[in-house]
Amino acid sequence: MRSLTIPSLNELSAVAGQFLQLTRGTRKFAIHGKMGAGKTTFIKAVCDELGAKEVVNSPSFSIINEYQSGSGMSIYHIDLYRIRDKEELFDLGYEDYFYSNAYVFIEWPENAGELLPQDIIRVNIEEVENGGRIISIIDN
Amino acid sequence: MGITILGIESSCDDTAAAIIEDGFLLSSRIAGQEVHKQYGGVVPELASRAHQQNIVPVVDMALKDAFKSRDEISAVAFTKGPGLLGSLLVGASFAKGFALACNIPLIDVNHLQAHVLANFIQKKEQTKILPEFPFLCLLISGGHTQLVIVKDYLDMKIIGQTIDDAAGEAFDKCAKVMGLPYPGGPVIDKYAKLGNPSAYQFSKPRIKNLDFSFSGLKTSFLYFLRDRLRENKNFINDHQYDICASIQKAIVDILIAKLVKASLETGITEIAIAGGVAANSDLRNRLSDEAQQRKWRIFFPEFHYSTDNAAMIAITGYYKFLHNEFASLDISPSARFSI
Repeated sequence: MRSLTIPSLNELSAVAGQFLQLTRGTRKFAIHGKMGAGKTTFIKAVCDELGAKEVVNSPSFSIINEYQSGSGMSIYHIDLYRIRDKEELFDLGYEDYFYSNAYVFIEWPENAGELLPQDIIRVNIEEVENGGRIISIIDN
Repeated sequence: MGITILGIESSCDDTAAAIIEDGFLLSSRIAGQEVHKQYGGVVPELASRAHQQNIVPVVDMALKDAFKSRDEISAVAFTKGPGLLGSLLVGASFAKGFALACNIPLIDVNHLQAHVLANFIQKKEQTKILPEFPFLCLLISGGHTQLVIVKDYLDMKIIGQTIDDAAGEAFDKCAKVMGLPYPGGPVIDKYAKLGNPSAYQFSKPRIKNLDFSFSGLKTSFLYFLRDRLRENKNFINDHQYDICASIQKAIVDILIAKLVKASLETGITEIAIAGGVAANSDLRNRLSDEAQQRKWRIFFPEFHYSTDNAAMIAITGYYKFLHNEFASLDISPSARFSI
């Protein structure tokens, strides 16, 4: 397991850049963390680093937001917060997103259970005492 | 003969159909809410399945309510997006089939533009004062929070929007951490009436332009509850009303501050509200106060036209019809679609 520390919001974009360096070669991420841990905020910073021009905001309601990276690659920002049943993922056509060549960031990945791709990188975001965050990259 | 538009809405959890004739609403029907109430919340899978089951009956009911037959319809308007793709596809496919079968034009409608134009929904027997262009519209719902300058029916520009969570989402997620049922907005509104809005203070976002942010408030609320629960494990139960009143005030403060800023910057004093959060009673009261103080004219759509409905799709379709803005049959829905 590797981890990165974000002491404060000022360091967020630098850490997002390091995160992309560290995980080079993979584009699928399951982002774990409690409500308020900063999942959306972290994904937003990573998407900014990828050069996304669109407004990166919470997909809790829309479930899937799609952006484009600076190099023209699709980014799927998925939030499974409202998913209650795997059947719903079949209905959304999850394979098209999970197994695409695009960047994929999944919030509340717990709700997909075993439907998550085998090679997805699991990332955990945790708040620490002073309000900073620790980003843990859990190796397969 | 008049212009009669059939509007179809299926972007999220409700299937709806409505008829507008020459700018006046004849009928508006919404189906599908019962399924969701039973399960608590919007369930995407149920949503698209329910749309398929509901769409034919709901259109049929809207036609009957309006005393119209299929061949009296001049054009069919449908929600192109934004929304859940699976749900949007049901409405789009139905609308295309209807247009093809009746040999009438098809009109694609932006759901967000339609929310704004819900302020123009009126019935013949009503004498309703309508907003004059240009006006500012604050569009607030579970999935959206935007400030829009409306220069004309079909000429709108977003001047501010949320950079993280939507206002309705802030209500829902704060309610969820308090253990309140979904949707959170109406419950918080109800409890807040019994509480003291100044009991607790939460951190305010510091965003200079006209954009909104609710994610910091949500986090601040979470930490606040966590710390208080450490001291008193019944804290939420003991102070439910004060907590609801305080968090509601914090959300409404953010909305009003940006609206005031937008009005001062643009010099526009015609203000319209749209979207489901428009139903919040504290927001309404405080906006009325601001309106008096700042000489605003303020407009709210009726409640059942501020949440998702097809009347707003039909009225937008009507204005697009007048502008000859039609869609071809190969158009596809778009899950992410901006004003």
